[in-house]
Amino acid sequence: MQNQIRCWLLAIILLCVSGAPVFAENELPIPTDDLAYCSTCHGVQLMGNPILKAPRLSGMESWYIENQLQSFKKGWRGTHEGDVVGMEMRPMAAALSDEQINQAAEYVSATRSALPASSVVGDIDKGKVLFTTCGACHGQSAEGDPAFGSPMLTTVDDWYLVTQLKNFKSGIRGSHPGDIYGMQMRASTQLLTDEQAIMDVVSYISTLRK
Amino acid sequence: MAFVIAGPTRLHGTNVGPQLQTLLIHQIRSIERHHMKKHLSRRRFLNLVGAAGGSTAVYKTSMALGLMQDTGPVAQLDLQKAGRNGKKVAVLGAGIAGLTVAYELERAGYDVTVIEASKRLGGRNLTVRHGDIIDELGQPQVCNFDDDPDLYFNCGPARIPGHHRRVLHYCKELKVPLQVKANMSRPAYTHEEGKFDDKPVRVGRYTADARGFMSELLHKAVDKNAFDQPLSAEDRERMLQFATAYGDLDPNGIYKGTIRAGYKSGGFITPAEHYTPMDFSALLDSKFWERGMTLSENPDWGEPLMEVTGGMDGLIKGLVRNISSPITTNAQVQSISLKENGVDVVYNHKGEREKLSVDYCFNSIPSHFMSGIPNNLPAEYRKGLASLQPGNFFKIGLQMKERFWENEGIYGGITNTSQKINQIWYPSHGIHGKKGVVLGAYAFFRQSAFFERMSPAARIEFAGKCGDKIHKGYSGYIEAGISVPWGRMNHMMGCGADWSPEIREKYYKLLQQPAGGRHFMIGDQISYHSSWQEGAFGSAEYALLELDKRVRAASARSGKG
Ligand SMILES: Cc1cc2nc3c(=O)[nH]c(=O)nc-3n(C[C@H](O)[C@H](O)[C@H](O)COP(=O)(O)OP(=O)(O)OC[C@H]3O[C@@H](n4cnc5c(N)ncnc54)[C@H](O)[C@@H]3O)c2cc1C
Ligand code: HEC
Ligand code: HEC
Repeated sequence: MQNQIRCWLLAIILLCVSGAPVFAENELPIPTDDLAYCSTCHGVQLMGNPILKAPRLSGMESWYIENQLQSFKKGWRGTHEGDVVGMEMRPMAAALSDEQINQAAEYVSATRSALPASSVVGDIDKGKVLFTTCGACHGQSAEGDPAFGSPMLTTVDDWYLVTQLKNFKSGIRGSHPGDIYGMQMRASTQLLTDEQAIMDVVSYISTLRK
Repeated sequence: MAFVIAGPTRLHGTNVGPQLQTLLIHQIRSIERHHMKKHLSRRRFLNLVGAAGGSTAVYKTSMALGLMQDTGPVAQLDLQKAGRNGKKVAVLGAGIAGLTVAYELERAGYDVTVIEASKRLGGRNLTVRHGDIIDELGQPQVCNFDDDPDLYFNCGPARIPGHHRRVLHYCKELKVPLQVKANMSRPAYTHEEGKFDDKPVRVGRYTADARGFMSELLHKAVDKNAFDQPLSAEDRERMLQFATAYGDLDPNGIYKGTIRAGYKSGGFITPAEHYTPMDFSALLDSKFWERGMTLSENPDWGEPLMEVTGGMDGLIKGLVRNISSPITTNAQVQSISLKENGVDVVYNHKGEREKLSVDYCFNSIPSHFMSGIPNNLPAEYRKGLASLQPGNFFKIGLQMKERFWENEGIYGGITNTSQKINQIWYPSHGIHGKKGVVLGAYAFFRQSAFFERMSPAARIEFAGKCGDKIHKGYSGYIEAGISVPWGRMNHMMGCGADWSPEIREKYYKLLQQPAGGRHFMIGDQISYHSSWQEGAFGSAEYALLELDKRVRAASARSGKG
C-alpha cells in the first residue's frame, strides 16, 4: 500500500512537472500475453478509456477485482438485457479460470496510471451529506472496506461511478439473488432519489481523491 | 428546355450519399470556377510552384485547385531522398496505411521501424484460411475450413472499384494479381420476410418489374401531359420513347412483362415462357428498392468490381514483400511523447519495455484507442481524436460442402434478405469446384451488436437458419464457419471512424496536419473514405506529401536543397 502511494505520487509529480507522460517506468508491470488483452479496452496500464466505456482499473484492490471478475463470470453482471456496457466486459471474465482471475487481479492492482480528470459536476456540499451513509460501508474517505466487500471509490473514473450508481438503482446491477454484495449496494441507492443526487455524491467523492 | 428532369446534383447517380454528393458538387464547382479564370496564368502559376517544390507540389496544388480529381492518376511520390544519415521514422500499426508509409519512406532512404500490437500484420485487411486465428476478445476462434487455397474468407475488405486509383496503383506496382468480382447479380435473390409469400425473388425479375411499372407511369404522365410546365412535342415524343425503352413497354406504353426478368422456362429448344409481372403494390410494399436494387449504382460498389486473386491479404503480402525495414509484431504502444525535435514511442515487446526515439512518427492506431494511450499531443488534437466514434461491421464465412448455388444459375454476387444476416455472397472464384466459402452474414454498424453477444457456434447456427429460408437445405451444406465481429476484435474494437459533419468541420483539417510537425495521424480514419482501403492509402499519401513539403522547406532553408 505504502509502495503504491509512493508510485502514485511519483507519477503525478512527474506528469505535472514535464507535462509529458512520464511514469516511474521500472515500476510499471508488463502484462503476460493473456492479460495484455485487458489493455485493448481499459487502456495502457488500465488507465481507462471513456470512448470504449471501459473504466480505469489501475491500482484497484485485488480482492475487489476478483469479486467483480467472478461476478461477471457467474453472470451477475453483464447479462441483464439493459446492461449493454457490461456485456462488453463479460466474455473476457467468462473465459478466465479461477486461477487466471487470481493472476488478473494481481496484475490489475499493480498497474499504475495518472488519476483521470474529474468530469462530473454536482453540489459537493449536498454530496458530502449524502456520503455519510455511504461511508458506513465504503469508509468516510471512500478508502473501501474489505470486511463489507465495499471497494475504494477514489481510483475509478467519476463517470464510471455515475453509470454504476445508475445501474444499481435501475436493477441492472445488484439484482441477481446470488449477488449478496451487489444487492446490499443496490439497497443503498434508495438514498439517491434522483440523478442530481448521484451527481452530487460523485462530485463529493472526487474531492476525496488523493 | 421545357422540362428539366434533373438538377446538377442528380446527374451523378441517384444513390450518391449526401457526403459524397457534397464532395462531387464541390469538385465540379471548383473546376468550373477555375475554368472561368485565365488558362495561361493558371499554367504559369503551376510552373512556378513546380520550380519551387518539385512535381509533388504541382500535384498537390493541382488537387487543391480542383484541376485534378481525387480519383485521378496517383501522385508519383518523388519524395526527397533522406540522404546518408536517413532520418528515423516510427510507424505505429501495420495495416494498409502504416505499411504504405513504411514502403515509401524506406525507398526514400529513411530509417523506418514498424510497431504493431497484434500478432499478425494487415490490421483490418484480414483473409482467413485453414488454421488461422480470429482474435476475438474473450472468444478466439480457429478457422476450421479445409486446407485448400480456394477456401478462404475476406473478413474485412473484399471489393475494389475501378476509381480507387491508389489501391489499384499499389496492386499494379507490387504485382498483386486481381480478378473481377461479381457484386450485384441478377440471378441472385432478394428475400423479404412476409413479402412475396416469403419466397426469394430473382434480383433480375424484381428490377425489371420495378422499372417496368415506373416506366408505365411515366408513359402515362407524358401522355396526359401531367407536368407543371408543358412539354414540347419533340420532348414528349422522346420521353415516350425513353419510358418505353427503359421499362420495355409494349407499343401502347403498358408493362406486360419482359425478357429482362429472366426465362421462366424454355427459350432454347422449346419456346420461351416469360414471367408475368408481379403485383405492383406488393413490390411497393417490399423494401429491396430502398437500397439493394440500386446499390451498384454507387461508384464504390459499381460494377465491375475487383478482388485480389487468392485473398485480399495478397495486398498486405505485396507490401511486406517489398519492405526490408524491421516490423515488430506483438508490440503494443504504451506512450507517445512529442518533443521539440522528434517523438518518443514506448512499446512493450516480449516482456520488455522498449523505447524508440525518432524524428517522425506516423500513427495509424485506431483513434478510439488514443484515449487509452498516454500522450502529450496538443489538447485540441486529442479532443479531435476523442470526438471520433468507432464504426462497426460483422461478417460470417461459411464453408459449403457443395456449390449448390451454381445449380440455381448463380455464379458470384449477392442475395439480399430482410433477415438479420442481411446478405449472402457467393464466391466469384473456384467456379465448379467441389466446395466454396460463402459470406453468410454481413451486419453494418449497430446491427453488429446482435451477433457480438452470441457465441461463435450460435452465430453459425443462426446464419444457417436464415439461409434455409432462401436456399433449400442451406444449413445442411455448412461444414465449417467463422465469424468476425470487428467491434470485438483485439486491437481493433471497431472499423474506421464515424465523422459527423460538425466534427469533420471542426477537426478534420487539424488531424490531417502533423502535430508539432512530427506526429502524423494516418489511416482510413483520416479520410473521406473511412472503411475503404482507398482512404487508408490516401491518408498515407497525404501525410507523406506533408512530410516532403517540410523536408524540402528545411533543406531549402539550410541551403542544401
Ligand atoms: C467488414 C469490413 C469490410 C470492408 N470492406 C472493404 C472493401 O470492400 N474494400 C475496401 O477497400 N475496404 C474495405 N474495408 C476497409 C479496409 O479494411 C480499411 O479501410 C483498411 O484496412 C484500413 O487500414 P488502416 O491502415 O487505416 O487501419 P487498420 O487496418 O485498422 O490498421 C491499424 C493497425 O493498428 C494496430 N494497432 C492498434 N492498436 C495499436 C497499438 N496500441 N500499438 C500498435 N499498433 C496498434 C492494429 O492492430 C492495426 O494493425 C472493410 C473493412 C471491414 C472491417
Ligand atoms: C472488450 C473490452 C474490454 C476488455 C477486453 C476488458 N474489459 Fe474489463 N470492462 C470493460 C467495460 C466496458 C467495463 C465496464 C462495465 C460496466 O460499465 O458495467 C469493464 C469493467 C471491468 C471491471 C469492473 C470494474 C469496476 O469497478 O466495476 C473489471 C474488474 C474489469 N473490467 C477487468 C478487466 C480485466 C482484468 C480484463 C482483462 C482480462 C478486462 N477487464 C478486459 C471492457 C473490457
Ligand atoms: C451496506 C453497505 C454499503 C453502503 C451503505 C453503500 N455501499 Fe456502495 N457498495 C457496497 C458494496 C458491497 C459494493 C460492491 C458491490 C459488488 O461487489 O458488486 C459497492 C459498490 C459501489 C460502487 C461500485 C464501484 C465499482 O467500481 O464497481 C459504487 C459507485 C458505490 N458502491 C457507491 C456508493 C455510494 C455513493 C453510496 C452511498 C449512497 C454507497 N455506495 C453506499 C456497499 C455499500
